[in-house]
Amino acid sequence: MLDIVSAGSAQKTAQLGWTGVVRFLHLAPRAFLPMRAAETITLVAGKGIEGDRYMIGKEEGFYSHKPEEGRQVTLFELETLIALKRDAGIELGPEEHRRNVTVEGVPLNHLVGRRFWLGDTLLEATRLSVPCRHIEEITGKAIFDPLINRSGLNCRILQGGIVRVGDTVRNAA
Amino acid sequence: MSARPITTVKTIVTGIEEAGADIKLFTLADPDRWELPPFKPGAHIDLHLPNGLVRTYSLCNEPADNTRYVIAVKREADGRGGSRALHDDVGVGDIIGVSLPRGGLAPDARIGRYMFVAGGIGVTPFLSVVRHLQRTAQAEFTLHLVAREEVPLAAHLGSLIEAGTVVVHRTSRAGRPDLAELVGDPDPETLVACCGPEGMTEDFERLTTAWPTANVHIERFVAPPPIIDPDAKPFTLSLARSGTEIQVRAGQTMLAALQEGGIDIATSCCGGICGACKVGWIEGRPVHRDRILSPYERERYLMVCVAGSDAERLVLDL
Ligand code: FES
Repeated sequence: MLDIVSAGSAQKTAQLGWTGVVRFLHLAPRAFLPMRAAETITLVAGKGIEGDRYMIGKEEGFYSHKPEEGRQVTLFELETLIALKRDAGIELGPEEHRRNVTVEGVPLNHLVGRRFWLGDTLLEATRLSVPCRHIEEITGKAIFDPLINRSGLNCRILQGGIVRVGDTVRNAA
Repeated sequence: MSARPITTVKTIVTGIEEAGADIKLFTLADPDRWELPPFKPGAHIDLHLPNGLVRTYSLCNEPADNTRYVIAVKREADGRGGSRALHDDVGVGDIIGVSLPRGGLAPDARIGRYMFVAGGIGVTPFLSVVRHLQRTAQAEFTLHLVAREEVPLAAHLGSLIEAGTVVVHRTSRAGRPDLAELVGDPDPETLVACCGPEGMTEDFERLTTAWPTANVHIERFVAPPPIIDPDAKPFTLSLARSGTEIQVRAGQTMLAALQEGGIDIATSCCGGICGACKVGWIEGRPVHRDRILSPYERERYLMVCVAGSDAERLVLDL
């Protein structure tokens, strides 16, 4: 069934039309520490975000998760925060989901395997993030279940640069 | 050396203050003075001490003071070694790993009055609570501090003692206060709490049997073990390939036990959905609890972050 769909038997490709915006930026230098909001963050190609815990080579010999070449920067949908409030009555702030970039209008789950522009930086989406059980401990909120399959996107940085709140997010064809 | 997972919050000792009566106050902070994970008034943390001991201490500063964890430690010469290690071996600049804060009092709008009874160093869990209540003025409170002669942390309680919200009872002069009188009659809008030596907490427990359980809080010097499944039993993991055995304590996860035993396991979600921590099992009766393995896979694999064991022994392919 799925291969029939993706084989495009109708000879048409579905086009995803979207342009999104960076709403919030957050980072934390070490595991478990609260995320701090930033107006700008600096992405380093092939490595990570300056000052963030996932920067490759930061904590030698230790990892807060399995080190992942494909998780240099993480994104999260503002729409998920809105849905959590609406459907589960849980108020979760953009500083609590522990991803770096909160975007609006970007269909993250569709982007796995694709490239897109985050402001002037070029990212490649590697895979969906999985929620982490510790997030319930850290936030004191029962959000593990509601975040399954909408816990954000892990990306590799192909082209670095400065990302600002308000930057445009768009497809890189 | 292969990388190890980070399981504690990294802190640096930024201050040690002698507070009299064999008590030292230790201030812990992030190496870059970043905000620390938040805590509720009355919460406690585990310290992973340089000598390998893990000890639990109440946080004494208030939650709004979010870049520090302050703990008060009384040197117990005959204790189990945690306080001695802190007093004798730890200095400013040392790195100490701590757990995420646990416990504490959740704000409760129905409570209009708090009555705390502390025996000696048992005052520590109430320090952050009274500071918090004083600043937020959300409810009335009185802390009765029972001490033989020297008042622990007197310098830190001065203004509260003057204000009358902390009442000192010196047993060497006036004998023991009448606990029954302090506790009074059950009142749904009052929360009563006690921390002190065993005799005191036992009396307190007896005097509050008629109270609604939600309105009574008892804190013992020896922190109770984390809330565990009452049916959980300890079991032994036997690692087929390395030929070692690892004990899993009741309520402990297999993952934690393996990590304690120095076995490196990849993890991500720690909640049984991502598949990162999959391990083969050979013999035993695993209790799976994950949400990722198919019935077929469960015959050979388990997820160590959530799985348990129904039998005393479980053999893993590790
Ligand atoms: S760590 Fe994700 S299933 Fe165990």
